[in-house]
Amino acid sequence: MTLYMTAYIACEIYQGCNAHKCFAVVWVSADDLSLINQKLPKELILRIFSYLDVVSLCRCAQVSKAWNVLALDGSNWQRVNLFEFQTDIEGPVVANISKRCGGFLKALSLEGCKSVTDDALKVFAENCRNIEELNLDDCKSITDHTASSLSLYSKKLTILDLGSCTAISDQTLKSLSDGCPLLSQLNISWCDQISDNGIEALARGCKELKVLRCKGCVMLTDESLLHLGLHSPKLTVLNLQACVNISDDGMQHLARGCENLRLLCLSGCANLTDRTLISLSNHCHKLRTLEVSSCCQFSDSGFQALARTCSELRQMDLEECVLISDASLSHLAIGCPKLETLTLSHCELITDEGIRHIGTSACATEVLKVIELDNCPLITDASLEHLMGCHGLQRIELYDCQLITRAGIRRLQSQLPTVMVHAYFAPPTPPTSDGRQRPRYCRCCSIL
Amino acid sequence: MPNIKLQSSDGEVFDVDVDVAKQSITIKTMLEDLGMDEDDDEAIPLPNVNSAILGKVLEWCQFHKDDPPPPEDEENREKRTDDLCGFDIDFLKVDQGTLFELILAANYLDIKGLLDASCKTVANMIKGKTPEEIRKTFNIKNDFTPAEEEQVRKENSWCEEK
Repeated sequence: MTLYMTAYIACEIYQGCNAHKCFAVVWVSADDLSLINQKLPKELILRIFSYLDVVSLCRCAQVSKAWNVLALDGSNWQRVNLFEFQTDIEGPVVANISKRCGGFLKALSLEGCKSVTDDALKVFAENCRNIEELNLDDCKSITDHTASSLSLYSKKLTILDLGSCTAISDQTLKSLSDGCPLLSQLNISWCDQISDNGIEALARGCKELKVLRCKGCVMLTDESLLHLGLHSPKLTVLNLQACVNISDDGMQHLARGCENLRLLCLSGCANLTDRTLISLSNHCHKLRTLEVSSCCQFSDSGFQALARTCSELRQMDLEECVLISDASLSHLAIGCPKLETLTLSHCELITDEGIRHIGTSACATEVLKVIELDNCPLITDASLEHLMGCHGLQRIELYDCQLITRAGIRRLQSQLPTVMVHAYFAPPTPPTSDGRQRPRYCRCCSIL
Repeated sequence: MPNIKLQSSDGEVFDVDVDVAKQSITIKTMLEDLGMDEDDDEAIPLPNVNSAILGKVLEWCQFHKDDPPPPEDEENREKRTDDLCGFDIDFLKVDQGTLFELILAANYLDIKGLLDASCKTVANMIKGKTPEEIRKTFNIKNDFTPAEEEQVRKENSWCEEK
């Protein structure tokens, strides 16, 4: 029963006039003079306890017999996050939590608990068989044995984070595919021993997979994408950042099979060419977020194809897509009327003309919130003039845009007083040596 | 803006803006389901809330009348208690008796924002304290025998360790 429901029942009990007083008499002794125990029914004390962390709950359990019962109530032990508690914990704490929470525990975060071992997680998996969400991000000590335990006992597991658990291998994915059929969200970013075999097993076994993050899994090749395309049609979020060995052929299989993709990150996959963008434009019409920073072979014709069919795009990161020119922006301006965030950092061919297309597009006047133009050396104050009609604009990045002037920024801010402008101008005279080093490039300073 | 009348347990009648009063889901449901007429001169009786507490509750509702509705997702609500607004912090600087009466009233009237804020205030009175300090704060009697106390201390010592 959720706490809300218990609170609701308490409310009904309370409505029948003296009922809550009998309630109080039932669970605290007659000589208890504390107002909190006299006045509040236990459902409301439980609601107060629902805001307490693990340490405070354990201390409440030592206050009195009545509070001991309340503090150990299962409703307090459904969601435990040790990240707020202490990350240098060791096995015994996890074992104790597991025993205390038992079947009540649905969500546990051990993020950053680097010394937690396979043995501790085995005790956990045996005791907490109703676990649904498990965050083991950066638990560096765990190996494939942890997934074996999860595979045996954690049949309800739906969300698992194994980011930066660098000791795990394909065997972990095989175990999950055997024993955790409900798994729908998995993070294996920076687990660089994972290869195509592991992804194939995962795709075949975990049919509910919707979110897969595998940043920096450098061994993955087109073979992985082929299997995801064949077996994971429900995939909506896929992060392949820095999977440097994938190519257009793999992306073609993926796009064909995963038409539900909403978010795709391909940043740093430098082998990819316009063929990838064309595959996406042929199949993935639901894309909302596309991150392709440093995909330096993407060009105007690829984005022309993409803009023709992917009209749901809201976030696009095109940083260091160095080949794109104003033509790409004119296609996006026409084809993507919902664009909210556009990153064009280091797109050095962009000129004021491209920004004019964006500034006069359907997305510009209301929905465009963020535009990042740092290190676009050709843009001038004219670009800022073109953006003056973007009433929803919240932030604009202009670092190292050498042709932008303070006066131009001031004019923009007089039109859009709430916009945050990030820029940096070198001081007019050489700085006096005050002992501190001045940053050449500073992301946090904003110009008035 | 139409007003409605609310009557406290001790008979005092409060004339209140409907939109302010409707932050109480209990009152909102009464008005909607029971077809109570807003122009009706008859006061809605609230037999579980006295005039002192009802006055405080309505002061809170008046200040928060333009808040967005609270999120429904009860199970995933955050545990943080450091997010009370300045008004709520000052508003809830009251003696324990009043604070617990406000929790009861917020629960009975089903005003989620006030219930959360008042429960968080009590949680903040617990956090960071030792068991003995918690007993002192709330005047709770230690009814463990020395042997039992040692037992529960052992059972819960793990949370103080690493």
